[in-house]
Amino acid sequence: MEIPTMIDASNGLTSIPPQDLRTLVVGAALFAIGTIGFLTRRNLILLILCAELMLHGVSLSLVTFGKLQNNNEGQAFTIFLLTIAACEAGLALALVLSLYRSARSLDIRLWTELRETDVPVAPLEPAAPAAGSSYGDIPRLTPAGTQPAHVPRRPAAKK
Amino acid sequence: MTETITRVFWSWNPVAVSGLALWIAGILWMMPGGVVTAAKTRIPGLLFTVAGLVLVLSSFGGAIGELSEELMFWVFAIAALLCGTLMITSRNPVYAALWFALATLSTCGLFMLQSAPFLAAATVIVYAGAVIVTFLFVIMLAQQSGAAGYDQTAGGTLPATLASFLLLGAVFYLVNTTAPEVRRVAPLADSLRLTASAENAVAAGEAAGGGASLQAVPVEEILAQEQRDSEQPAVQPNLLSRATESHPVGSMKGLGRSLFGDYLFAVELAGTILLIACIGAIAVAPRREEGAI
Repeated sequence: MEIPTMIDASNGLTSIPPQDLRTLVVGAALFAIGTIGFLTRRNLILLILCAELMLHGVSLSLVTFGKLQNNNEGQAFTIFLLTIAACEAGLALALVLSLYRSARSLDIRLWTELRETDVPVAPLEPAAPAAGSSYGDIPRLTPAGTQPAHVPRRPAAKK
Repeated sequence: MTETITRVFWSWNPVAVSGLALWIAGILWMMPGGVVTAAKTRIPGLLFTVAGLVLVLSSFGGAIGELSEELMFWVFAIAALLCGTLMITSRNPVYAALWFALATLSTCGLFMLQSAPFLAAATVIVYAGAVIVTFLFVIMLAQQSGAAGYDQTAGGTLPATLASFLLLGAVFYLVNTTAPEVRRVAPLADSLRLTASAENAVAAGEAAGGGASLQAVPVEEILAQEQRDSEQPAVQPNLLSRATESHPVGSMKGLGRSLFGDYLFAVELAGTILLIACIGAIAVAPRREEGAI
């Protein structure tokens, strides 16, 4: 029984096509900028987004490896990766909401209890800037009339 | 040791190195609270980043393929990396999420170019359709008062950027040095019909009527043949995942054979993990009786 050979060249070694090489480069670069964002930014939600960006880089590399080897395993792995990324996003957002409820802030620097004892703590800002100030000029209505007297709200009725 | 480091350094492509340097400059310029804190405009950082990306990608050039494909690759690659850079340097988390959506769409374009159309569609649906919407929802829930102080500064920009780009340079070097000697595998011939064992091969051959065009071959025989051909251990034993001549990489049938053939148990496990994560998220998320967000 004759089996057709499945190895390309005489020794089976060829060079990567330039298209695949550059896609590998893009995948590695996506991973790198995801790392930068993860290490520098302070918003908890942005950190998760940066992790997802790193996962994109990994998916791109996996797909390219699969194409190089004429193999569907790379894409199958990427589908699993997509599944795990969805799980990660759901769980991470639930955790972030819990953290937000206890600290009323998304700042990662509020959560430093688990650090090594000799690591200095980065300083926090004294307070958040005035609301809306960083969004530029927002048109506002001129105040009209006198301000009504403040009436304390009645406590909600117990069910 | 010193000689090795010098050799590695000088064997680097100067175009790639200068492109990386420009890109670093762009990131440092645009990063909130970074090195250039006094900068009022982000335009110079943007220009630095685009120039750096063009230099880096062109240094890995090589033979130019079909013009349309080349054009698509450049558009998608530069859009993905530029949107990623703008995402990590954005001062407003809502804009960051939207830049991430654009980076995702560009990555899906690259998936399409790498002959993965199903994956591109799935990624668009999962990320742009579900994940981004959830993230935007949480951002708007948690930051109703607008931009917060912690989004206007970033910590450790310079060391983090340098460390990441050192890693990236190492990966580039490795890719460049190993690119000429990658083992390529041709797709399986269509005339092969894989069976699990030699007895099954005989049975399948008899069932096919002896002289049929399909050639029933046990898996072990193919692996042994490959090992003889290549003088290396067989690449991988999962032959159902191997592309065939009529169903190339990325075709729905090939992908389905791989997922529901070689990786059936993994698919079941992934479903179970999704279920567990769903239960966990519901358990972790704040409840209504514990107070409003």
